[in-house]
Amino acid sequence: MTRQPALTEIAAQVDQLHRIAQELYDRSEDFPALNRNLKRILASIHMLRINLEEDAD
Amino acid sequence: MEPDEIKSLEQVRLVPKVEKSMLRPIQSKDPFPYGDALCVPLDEVTEFHQTSGTTGQPVYQPDTWQDWEWFSECWATLLWAQGYRPHDRVFLPFGYNVFVAFWTGHYASEKIGCETVPGGVLDTQARILKMQELRATAMMATPTYVLGMADAAQRKLGIDPAKDLFVRRITCAGEPGALIPSTKERMEKLWGAKVFDHAGATEIGAWGFECEAQPGGMHVNEAMFLAEVEDPETGDLITEPNKSGKLVISALDRLAQPCIRFDSKDIVQMSPDQCPCGRTYKVFKGGVIGRADDITKVKGVLLAPSAIEDVVRSFPGLSHEYEVVVEKRGDMDHITLKVELAEGSGQDASSITEKLKTELRFKTNLGYEIQTHPYGSLPRYEVKAKRFKDLRKRGDA
Repeated sequence: MTRQPALTEIAAQVDQLHRIAQELYDRSEDFPALNRNLKRILASIHMLRINLEEDAD
Repeated sequence: MEPDEIKSLEQVRLVPKVEKSMLRPIQSKDPFPYGDALCVPLDEVTEFHQTSGTTGQPVYQPDTWQDWEWFSECWATLLWAQGYRPHDRVFLPFGYNVFVAFWTGHYASEKIGCETVPGGVLDTQARILKMQELRATAMMATPTYVLGMADAAQRKLGIDPAKDLFVRRITCAGEPGALIPSTKERMEKLWGAKVFDHAGATEIGAWGFECEAQPGGMHVNEAMFLAEVEDPETGDLITEPNKSGKLVISALDRLAQPCIRFDSKDIVQMSPDQCPCGRTYKVFKGGVIGRADDITKVKGVLLAPSAIEDVVRSFPGLSHEYEVVVEKRGDMDHITLKVELAEGSGQDASSITEKLKTELRFKTNLGYEIQTHPYGSLPRYEVKAKRFKDLRKRGDA
């Protein structure tokens, strides 16, 4: 697999990860421990997106 | 102006610039303590830090968890570019407190997998001994402290950092120095290590770094920042290399207190050359070559304090410390340069004074009164040194 299609595929998987984490976060209001860890996961997923943009350059 | 009016890079220049001096009055408003520059609910803020206060009252810096991740990510990028790897044991000899300083260097070091040692409240000698005991391979500090530590190691502990310690990589921040040739050479020689520069600001983040190829300049992290260089007089955008201008910088992902088009006051100059490391980010030749508010006219000549430092530190017979005082004597500007003879240099003060005068005249086009002081008599600094004192501005000359 060449670099560009690999990046596109990874980006799609990161989007999927984000969607799942966001859904869980939205459902976690009554579970403080889940809520705070999901918030951190969402921040880390945002870093993945930055890393991918950096690599695409 | 509304955000959706900005549709192109050119239109970014329509956004008014932000200056540090604007943030202080804003922060006296509600919500306490950040004022209405705060762009997220206060409950979202997880980190408090502040600027060093070098230029006046400190500015508070709120960050969300995501901001903090992002700030660490900036540092992770620069440490990796400087050759830090998971096998490194990184020592941070700085006072962990409200000043942001190397906090994110700590988290970034962890993030890339290095073993990270907090050298917090230890004094300088204890830090050196701990570095020796743990065989630390890298550290982060201001150039002033890097030199001060080497001095303390040699004089107080009989330790030669280049031979008796294991540090082979040093990242500097907080002051110019790591890209001032004679200061860099001093540090590299004393420690037997490669010394790298980095630039940033509390309000913005860690925007620039010298990479392992050491191209004589600093990359801008263009994945995370938008860097504009403008003519300090006209405000026109500078796009061509080899022309000095003022850096206006925007962090692309800071949420809690975003700084769009921050007037950094840093003077930079784009290099025409591609860096051999392969990164395509812009390179600023010589890094931050001055500060718009530091470069001052003395006797009608533009003077950058870094030019004086480069000369002083090229004299092996002088210690690392110096102080410059500019004052009015009658109607005339007068510059006094205070230097210290290196400990045990055995050199004659008057011969050094004459050579120093000549070299300074050649490099800065100005005449100086040179005062030589005994070793250890000038002030020592740990974080941001205040060596340039322009008494004319305060009117108390």
